[in-house]
Amino acid sequence: MGEQKLYQASANWLKSAVDALCAAGVEVLAPTQTDSGKVDLARVTSSEQVIGSYANTAFPLKRLFLPMSEVLLKYEKGENGDVDLEPESAEAKELVILGCRPCDVAALGMLDKVFQWDYSDVAYQQKRDRTTVVSLACTEPSPECFCTSVGGSPQGSEQSDVLVFGNADNTALMQVNTAKGEKFIERLADAVTPAPEGTKLPEPAELERKFNPQKVKGWLDDNFESDFWVENSLGCLGCGTCSYLCPTCHCFDIVDEASWNRGQRRRNWDCCSFSQFTLHASGHNPRPNQAARYRQRLMHKFKYFPERFGLLACVGCGRCLKNCAVGQNLIADLADIESR
Amino acid sequence: MSANGTITQALREAAAQMLSDKKVGVVIGYGRDEGQEFSTPVFLRKAEEVERLVFDDLCFGNLAVYLSRPAIRKMGKTGIVVKGCDLRAVNVLLRENVIKREDVLLIGVHCGGLGEPRLPKCLVCEVHSPTGCDVVVGEAIEQPEVKAEQRYTKADEIEAKPVEQRWEFWQKQLSKCIRCYACRQVCPLCYCKRCIIEKNTPQWVETSPHVRGNLAWHVARALHLTGRCVGCGECERVCPMDIPLGAINQKMAKVVDERFGFRSGFSAEDEAPFTTFSTEDSEEGIL
Repeated sequence: MGEQKLYQASANWLKSAVDALCAAGVEVLAPTQTDSGKVDLARVTSSEQVIGSYANTAFPLKRLFLPMSEVLLKYEKGENGDVDLEPESAEAKELVILGCRPCDVAALGMLDKVFQWDYSDVAYQQKRDRTTVVSLACTEPSPECFCTSVGGSPQGSEQSDVLVFGNADNTALMQVNTAKGEKFIERLADAVTPAPEGTKLPEPAELERKFNPQKVKGWLDDNFESDFWVENSLGCLGCGTCSYLCPTCHCFDIVDEASWNRGQRRRNWDCCSFSQFTLHASGHNPRPNQAARYRQRLMHKFKYFPERFGLLACVGCGRCLKNCAVGQNLIADLADIESR
Repeated sequence: MSANGTITQALREAAAQMLSDKKVGVVIGYGRDEGQEFSTPVFLRKAEEVERLVFDDLCFGNLAVYLSRPAIRKMGKTGIVVKGCDLRAVNVLLRENVIKREDVLLIGVHCGGLGEPRLPKCLVCEVHSPTGCDVVVGEAIEQPEVKAEQRYTKADEIEAKPVEQRWEFWQKQLSKCIRCYACRQVCPLCYCKRCIIEKNTPQWVETSPHVRGNLAWHVARALHLTGRCVGCGECERVCPMDIPLGAINQKMAKVVDERFGFRSGFSAEDEAPFTTFSTEDSEEGIL
């Protein structure tokens, strides 16, 4: 991350941004209202489509880089038995995401670790490379938010190219963190000016810490076997809502969908809450019950991932607890662990 | 005390009694978790825990889903709080021999409807007062008459559209599906140990969340619930993508109602169309 620079943006910055980006042929995603009344990122061509007031989007950013379903390659077997392979061509067009939240952006740092680990995942990296992330600092965290408990902040700038501090009068202060961010600022032209020397960032919104992840990890280290896993997973139905709406969950399945002589290889989201996730061809399942699968989900986020990559695999967005069909509450579960 | 307050008190007393008498190994009911927009399932093993039980306007969940879960069955006989709508699902589980009557202790609740405004299903509820339970709490509620034409209004609304518009509508709705299977997992009647979607040698239904795969999944789901679904609406409530799954279920229920005069879950002794052979059945083809 380069040197951080601050800019003042005038009240029409959003309009200027959408107009300038669209004119330059850049794809723009911003929070809009869905047909069911939720707020979610969607392609916009006018600043009027952009929702101003929202806690967070229904979906995190993950699907933009690791789509729900993605064609990795196509294949066709010729008459002579040769197989033609055609890798899926990647979209190279520049993309700017406007108005995502710091927690969701921080999650990209975790996904980067995985997809740039022992192998550089081309399909993922191409999407990362073409994207500029302009995040919006939170001023009113929701009840389900807990970023401060997992090392984040309502105005965290991790992985943001530009972090915007919006004001009530629609003006904004912009913190530019990367070269991509600089390019975004250039496109805003007259709508931004360098902030005066000594301009300070606003105080972050208050968000009480709800548990201590180090203490949680301490318990996890010693309690792979515990009644806690059974007791706290009794309600869990074993669906994929928490994982699929999680900004950091990144497990996938690869399937071939083929007709007689041609087909495509797809990468689809998968989820450790499903019993089939670990089912062996022999019929043996090393995670034979929901308790084992629930344990895996918590262990992965708060023990295994930190041990491997030095980061928690949770950014505190709270979507898992907000969307859970039975009200499984990650904050309460982790606070419970800490108290043990 | 409010009606729900009285019910809560009676539930706690009933649960404490059956737990201390060791009549059941667990009582499944509803509890409050501050910050949740609905009352969540609680699993009580000791009489001292019964203060966690509540009954309020937000007890949306159909707890019958837990009756087939191995972790619950291991606990012994199950006491379960059921509203009339939930009881319909229990009746199907009994009818299909998934559970035995002696393995459950049914704690029925007289329920006047949930949610503010009332859930659509509550407005046409025909089972405000559950029958055949071991214990019933609350005051009996007068059952308003529900006319046949009120039963399937969501399906009727969509059916009224021309076929091209219906196709467009469902393509759009089903393209949203992320295949989290919350609809299946929350369904008390989706108890298969291995779902058709998980049978992968060969893969009968594509797992990819493209429209083709999603359509196949939701058609499979609907067909497997035909003549069985009791319209509890849990699938639609929990769908994170707001797909109107209730309309699909209604359509299937409507067909079975029209063809066989059968509505699922009103009794555990029903002769369900799919499991009953009758020479009277019309032979126009498969449903």
